Amino acid sequence: MFVSDCRREFYDVIVTQRVLLLVASDVDALCACKILQALFQCDHVQYTLVPVSGWQELETAFLEHKDQFKYFVLINCGANVDLLEILQPEEDTFFFVCDSHRPINVVNVYNDTQIKLLVKQDDDLDVPAYDDIFRDEEEEEEDSENESEGSEPSDKRRRFEEDVIERTMKRRQRREWEARRREILFDYEQYEYHGTSSAMVMFDLAWVMSKDLNDMLWWAIVGLTDQWVQDKITQMKYVTDVGALQRHVSRHNHRNEDEEHALSIDCTRIAFDYDLRLALYQHWSLYESLCNTSYTSARLKLWSVQGQKRLQEFLADMGLPLKQVKQKFNSMDMSLKENLREMIEESANKFGMKDLRVQTFSIHFGFKNKFSASDIVYATTSLMENIEKEGPETTNFIKALDSLSRGNLDKLHQGLDLAKKQLRAIQQTVASCICTNLVISQGPFLYCSLMEGTPDVKLFSKPVSLCLLSKNLLKSFVCSTKNKRCKLLPLIMAAPMDVEQGTVIMVGIPPETESSDKKNFFGRAFEKAADSTGSRTLHNHFDMSIIELKTEDRSKFLDALISLLS
Amino acid sequence: MAGERVMELVRELHRATGGHLPPFRTEGLRQALEEMRALYERNQADVSEAKSGRTDLIFLIRFRHCCLLRNQRCLLAYVYDRLLRIRALRWEYGSVLPNTIQFHMSAEEVEWFNRYKKSLATYMRSVGGEEGLDLTQDIKPPKSLYIEVRCLRDHGEFEIDDGTTILLKKNSQHFLPRWKCEQLIRQGVLEHILS
Repeated sequence: MFVSDCRREFYDVIVTQRVLLLVASDVDALCACKILQALFQCDHVQYTLVPVSGWQELETAFLEHKDQFKYFVLINCGANVDLLEILQPEEDTFFFVCDSHRPINVVNVYNDTQIKLLVKQDDDLDVPAYDDIFRDEEEEEEDSENESEGSEPSDKRRRFEEDVIERTMKRRQRREWEARRREILFDYEQYEYHGTSSAMVMFDLAWVMSKDLNDMLWWAIVGLTDQWVQDKITQMKYVTDVGALQRHVSRHNHRNEDEEHALSIDCTRIAFDYDLRLALYQHWSLYESLCNTSYTSARLKLWSVQGQKRLQEFLADMGLPLKQVKQKFNSMDMSLKENLREMIEESANKFGMKDLRVQTFSIHFGFKNKFSASDIVYATTSLMENIEKEGPETTNFIKALDSLSRGNLDKLHQGLDLAKKQLRAIQQTVASCICTNLVISQGPFLYCSLMEGTPDVKLFSKPVSLCLLSKNLLKSFVCSTKNKRCKLLPLIMAAPMDVEQGTVIMVGIPPETESSDKKNFFGRAFEKAADSTGSRTLHNHFDMSIIELKTEDRSKFLDALISLLS
Repeated sequence: MAGERVMELVRELHRATGGHLPPFRTEGLRQALEEMRALYERNQADVSEAKSGRTDLIFLIRFRHCCLLRNQRCLLAYVYDRLLRIRALRWEYGSVLPNTIQFHMSAEEVEWFNRYKKSLATYMRSVGGEEGLDLTQDIKPPKSLYIEVRCLRDHGEFEIDDGTTILLKKNSQHFLPRWKCEQLIRQGVLEHILS
């Protein structure tokens, strides 16, 4: 059931208990976790934090800890499946689920006792009404009662006939109701999408309790920006949420304007920025950033020779000398940097890139440290999906979690370096896929498969990296193809996951259109296709549109999908 | 050469830095005591001879006496230093020492340790009101009641004061009362996180 007063129904309940935090492996969840940890440390709530990266790990962690904890908080996992059925908890176990995955499973919504959803209710949830889906089992008893009554034969026969008519009508009604129920549930669960970021929900909780700090606000910003970078929410929702956060930012950070009471340079300041959309440009060179941001490389078509020429023209149009642009951003001439944003925006309009500037926030502490929210998102994502294994997978999670604290700048810088490598790898792979026409249309969708020997293919055995690659690829493909129908198709991307076990990771993303609502139907489609062909698939990720399957089953799985979706 | 063996004992102890307790060298001690006994007997014999006239033996007697004193001093230093280290172990590890360390102690040292423990416990009980005060905790002034710790390796289940158990798995983070974690932090199972 939905929690209406976060503070009274969630926080006050657990503040005297010991809690187990199960946190999913994405940046939004990490940020929400940091905010919640800060609140818990403030109030001395004893907790244990266990990172989980999939349904199996969630079940294992639950089984290991269920004897020791009665209160579980799930962050960015668990809303879209029937939790009670999967975990089979005891009667006195409570789950608090703060998840941005939608649609929320109806059992979770209508369970009154054990499952509490920390979700903003003004999100477009469209949960079906209770009576449409659930029905009490009283009708069965009524029928049997009627039969056990005894009386005169003629009366009995008449009553018997009436009973038969009644019963058939009831059965027909029931069948109609069940058909309608199936339809309603199918419509409700068909499309997957995302709601408000969990980090923002946690920040709201902190704000309601007046325990919010600038640091927590920054984490909420990073959580929201993660949703935007990974294309999980619509542009409108992003702008609305940015507006909400901007109010908090000005509330916390207004002391800088006043000369007399200005804070020390080492204090954290967050500022609202109408900044360029170029990835990591302040920690890289402007040229590299232009080449490796999906937006610019897709519009300028940088995989072709003509595209490179257009890039040179673009730079020339702005009057930026190549030598300046190719060196580190911080070393560029001040005169060039001063009006950079306006200059780039003007020239970008001429080259078909109207949205090169985007509303975002940046953080500033000390003399050297200035980061934009998207920088942090890229750095943390690449730390979390670092393929250089230094231990179990949870080590990467812990490193990424640490890098979000202000004191661990070395980890953040390591993350930035890894992010640069990742972005470069993505661009090169996209360029090679488009130049070698690896993206083929299968009818209802586009399909692209990465071969084993491709450089950097190991980077893409991780779900978030593969999703970023697929979105970039789709954007570039849409800009490169002339086929009008292909521009509206969704994309399925496959990459080798584990060579020894012969598994492949497959990701489905919705079509790339101007006003897309980011709703993804591949979750259900994958499930149905796997069922009908009996392929050995593993639906382990919290996002239902990411699956793993055996390489041998790939072709029949795809055939089933094609017939399902056409 | 006289005094060699006892010097070896002292040198070994000197090399073991950081409060580490090397194994108790019963053999070395026995040899040193043998040496002292031999010196003493020879001295006894020479003293009776010197009394009866041979004054040139006095220097030899004095030399042997110096050796005896030297041996005694070194042996006492060895045994005393070990006792100091064992005392420090009580403050570091608590009342139950790990088996590896207990191996390195002689029976008498174990006896001494038990008596020290008892005496410390009696003192702690007498200080600080009714339940006594555990002086071996919080050697450095604590900053907060609860600390955040991260598990560095799988340690299994861990029980805290109110009977509940926590499963310590690698890379899980916990927020626990400080006094419960100190032991494990010293052992290297948990790591204190400062944010």
